[in-house]
Amino acid sequence: MFTLPETRFDFGGDEYIYAEISRDMSEESNFKALAVTNELRKRNIPGVHDICPSNSSYIIRFDPEVISPVDLLEYLKEIDITKSNPSALNMQVRIVEIPIWYDDPLTEEYSRRFSERNISHDAMSDFELVRKLNGFSTKEEFIEAHSSSPYLITMMGFIPGTAWEYPLGLEKKQIIQTPKYSSPRTDTPSRAVGLGGAFTVIYPLNAPGSYQLIGMCAVPIFDQSQRLYDLRDTFFLARPGDIWKHRPVDESEYNEIVRQVKEGEYRYRIKNVDFSTEEYFANKKEYLTHLMEGF
Amino acid sequence: MLYILDGGLQTLVQDMGRKDYYHLGVPPSGAADRYSFVLGNILLGNPADYAALEITLLGPKIEIRKKTVITITGAPLDVTVNGTAVPMWETICVQEGDILSLRSAQKGVKSYLCISGGIQVPHVLGSRSTYTISQLGGFQGRKLLAGDEITIGEPLPGVFHHVGMRIPEEYLPKFSSSVDIRMVMGISSYRLSDEGVRAFLNSEWQVGLESNNIAYRYSGASASFKLIDPPFGAGNNLSNTVDIVYPIGAIMVPNEKELILLLRDATTGGGFVTLGTTISADLDLVSQSRPQTKTRFIAITMEQAIEARMSKKKKVLTLQSLLK
Repeated sequence: MFTLPETRFDFGGDEYIYAEISRDMSEESNFKALAVTNELRKRNIPGVHDICPSNSSYIIRFDPEVISPVDLLEYLKEIDITKSNPSALNMQVRIVEIPIWYDDPLTEEYSRRFSERNISHDAMSDFELVRKLNGFSTKEEFIEAHSSSPYLITMMGFIPGTAWEYPLGLEKKQIIQTPKYSSPRTDTPSRAVGLGGAFTVIYPLNAPGSYQLIGMCAVPIFDQSQRLYDLRDTFFLARPGDIWKHRPVDESEYNEIVRQVKEGEYRYRIKNVDFSTEEYFANKKEYLTHLMEGF
Repeated sequence: MLYILDGGLQTLVQDMGRKDYYHLGVPPSGAADRYSFVLGNILLGNPADYAALEITLLGPKIEIRKKTVITITGAPLDVTVNGTAVPMWETICVQEGDILSLRSAQKGVKSYLCISGGIQVPHVLGSRSTYTISQLGGFQGRKLLAGDEITIGEPLPGVFHHVGMRIPEEYLPKFSSSVDIRMVMGISSYRLSDEGVRAFLNSEWQVGLESNNIAYRYSGASASFKLIDPPFGAGNNLSNTVDIVYPIGAIMVPNEKELILLLRDATTGGGFVTLGTTISADLDLVSQSRPQTKTRFIAITMEQAIEARMSKKKKVLTLQSLLK
């Protein structure tokens, strides 16, 4: 259907190959990153350790004492070229519901506390800042925009469990965008929802950070306790290629979900689906509506 | 068992680190100066990846609760057993009830207390290393505190016959107040101006105070960006790129006056312009450099990086056969 420009490769020291599919973010670049890394993982190459898709690039860590970097690069280039048509990707993914209390008092307090590090120093909350920068006249319209589209998990990184989310099915000009803090906050509440560039990120734990904070996610996305049924075999809610759907909740529902999590009763709403980029690119809106049925 | 009387500044259980979870955002962690760590283990006859205690600047005070053999390697510390000075880089027999005291390092940052049979804590995601941000692995995911009881392995067969063995002088690492760090340029170095690249390579940088196991910070020079619009999705600052997964050793430029070099507890992804990657052989040197250390970055090729890696490995293998 369409072919991406040639990927640019660099060695990262003696243990990494970095592949830049594009400098700009696009759905196509991420689908390609997922396709190449899925294929490489399937091939189970001795000496290849970490295979990490990222937003519009991917990175491989290898042991140069087991596999020659030059041979691996050549091999990778061959896979990369065969995956240049991003409409040929089929993946089994999970759709996961993410309940969010938008414009909550905790992230508002953090916005105030760290305002001198932000791009605008007045006492306005990050939520208000991002709403105004993106031209939404009311709080409700902004929340609607952030919670109506499904978001693709395009990459994981930063601290364990952190997932980058990028909206599916939108034109670039429709995507909410924001500058990051000029200097990172020294702290962010665990489960805070942040926006930076064109991406949404939920902080798995208290951590430094530079994304604008717009709300609180009610459910854990990183949990070592294994007290929740859906996280009994893993510490991580996200997987690259999954789809997350934000659902706005009010204070009382937020508190009720937090209570259920605490008691170990909470069940994530999850649906397993087959995602075909071919069908998606043929008719994005219709395909997403069908895919997201029940969410 | 080891009974901790005083934990010191930051004493952590470490091994060679985690593998295979990087794509979920889990950094490797593990010993910051792998060379000193591995030398301690091979001197004791332990497998090279047996867990040990990593000491940062100010050492702990420990009551030994089981007769065993230990060695202390890495940054030079004053070490005493029951108040009597004992040497580093040598196998020492300690008895039940002995008080082992490790004071402050004169040079360097990281020292290792290796024990025959290794430190016994559960494996988390395939490693015993401590990753403090997520409270993962190690002893309860944190640094050691007074009152902690740390389980150690049974002394390995034959180890008591090897008490008093030393690492020969020529194998000991140097601790200097000025270092050269080799790196391979690339990733998004094209976002720096030509003068910026020259300034990065020709300037003397200094290690900042906020440096730790996550990252080292450098300042004292300036590396300017190209004046171009950042790509779509990156944010609007000249230092922003679309977020990537960083390599361990990545050298980023968050602003023109500062460099950030990611170490083994790295925040594994983000969107700062990245100049290139420190070679694996020099990560130990970074971790051992103190604040104010004068640092120059030397650009080399991947092939030279492999050579440096192999010559370091050869040194360890030679030493290993020497000690047998």
